Amino acid sequence: MPVTAFIDILTDNLGEWSSGFWLTTRIVVFAFVIAMVTGTLIAAFRVAPSKWLQRVGGVYVEFFRNIPLLVLAYIVFLGLRDSGVKIDGLLAGTLALGLYTAAYIAESLRSGVFSVSKGQIEASLSLGLRYGETMRRIILPQAFRTVISPIGSLIIAMIKNSAVIGVAVAVTDLLKTGRLIQSRNFQTLETFIWAGIGYLILTGLVTLAIRMLENRYAIKR
Amino acid sequence: MPLAFFDWIGENRNLRFMFEGFLTNIEIALIAMVLAFVLGLALALVRLTRNRVVSTLGGAWIDAFRNLPLILLILFMALYLPPSWRDFWTDNVPGWAPEAFESGLILGAFLALILYNSAVLAEIMRAGIQSLARGQGEAASALGMSYTQSLRHVILPQGLRRMVPALVSQLITLNKDTTLVSIIGIQEVVRRGRQVVASGGNPFTGSTVEAPILEVFILLGVWFVIVNYALSRLSRRLEIRERKRSGGVKLERVKGLEDQVAADPA
Repeated sequence: MPVTAFIDILTDNLGEWSSGFWLTTRIVVFAFVIAMVTGTLIAAFRVAPSKWLQRVGGVYVEFFRNIPLLVLAYIVFLGLRDSGVKIDGLLAGTLALGLYTAAYIAESLRSGVFSVSKGQIEASLSLGLRYGETMRRIILPQAFRTVISPIGSLIIAMIKNSAVIGVAVAVTDLLKTGRLIQSRNFQTLETFIWAGIGYLILTGLVTLAIRMLENRYAIKR
Repeated sequence: MPLAFFDWIGENRNLRFMFEGFLTNIEIALIAMVLAFVLGLALALVRLTRNRVVSTLGGAWIDAFRNLPLILLILFMALYLPPSWRDFWTDNVPGWAPEAFESGLILGAFLALILYNSAVLAEIMRAGIQSLARGQGEAASALGMSYTQSLRHVILPQGLRRMVPALVSQLITLNKDTTLVSIIGIQEVVRRGRQVVASGGNPFTGSTVEAPILEVFILLGVWFVIVNYALSRLSRRLEIRERKRSGGVKLERVKGLEDQVAADPA
């Protein structure tokens, strides 16, 4: 395979590649925000003193992590649109990815909360802090530090899963960009290698960032 | 808005048509799991050889394929697989194989699933073998065993058993991932779900009742939730039992995979 021809596939379509790369990044970032907010809420449900809330949290986690992401994306996008809800594809896809990952975030946070010893919770409550204050000031700051590594894993999984979203809601993300370029030049292997490199750059960067954060803040369990 | 929910289920072959598709997904997952396990074990051993060059190359292969989106590999295989291979498959597919396996593209689907999952399983095995190798491997070499002997007689038998919970977790992921092959037109449950949706004298099932997309996909989503929930309970139970009997030696968690994260019981 001539090297220059291979590089030309990148340079000739640089604008398209970078806008696809950028869209994939945006999907992951927005979905991550949704996942963190929802996941924290569900984790709080899971460790709440009320049995009823615990059950709601449990059902959420088991539903969203056991359903295929593609099926979830179709429910949120095609399903809602078919039922008369006007929802934008990109929004629906990002929402689906965020809600899906939230189940895993909730599980990581929950086991993070349980890794903080019960003694600290009792001590905090006996000092007169309320349940919410104990959570916010004592437990969550420690829990977040034990979950750096699992959350890093989930971001990497999200980068890979964003390609599923791209297909399900038909947006021009990195993978779709590759497919469009391939449909013009028919150089399947070379074009897909460039798309793959794009994903490996994203997962590689996240891996490095997580390793740095872990070295600084992580509490080994 | 009609008041009757899920009234399309009882119509003609709708339910059977979809459920057969669902069984195809499970068959694809199981076959791919077995083949990926064999290839994954080979890759893990390549990764752990003493030869620096070979082990680095093995590591690069594993890291590349487990960090690529599976759907990228599936689409690539569908486009890149030589037509002669596909024809060869279509001509020689055994008669007992499910309907979905008659498509030549199933070969590409399997290649992609195996390529991705073997890299993931190799990493799970590497982590398992290495977290045992420290103490146990040293003990074995103190008894005069060679590296290969200690791997065969000491590390692998224990390591593989301890990896079972992680393997079951990966089977959950794989089970979900089989829906991705609908993108290249394999007749599995998502594909069939979309065909059931086609309303008014459905050519596939003969149904005349309109099936809303929302209801169809919620139903087949629930099927996956039931099967995968059972698997995740199994994985958790095995994990707790394994931890008790191994006296707390914890296997290193493999990064970048959602169900491996979730497998950690609190």
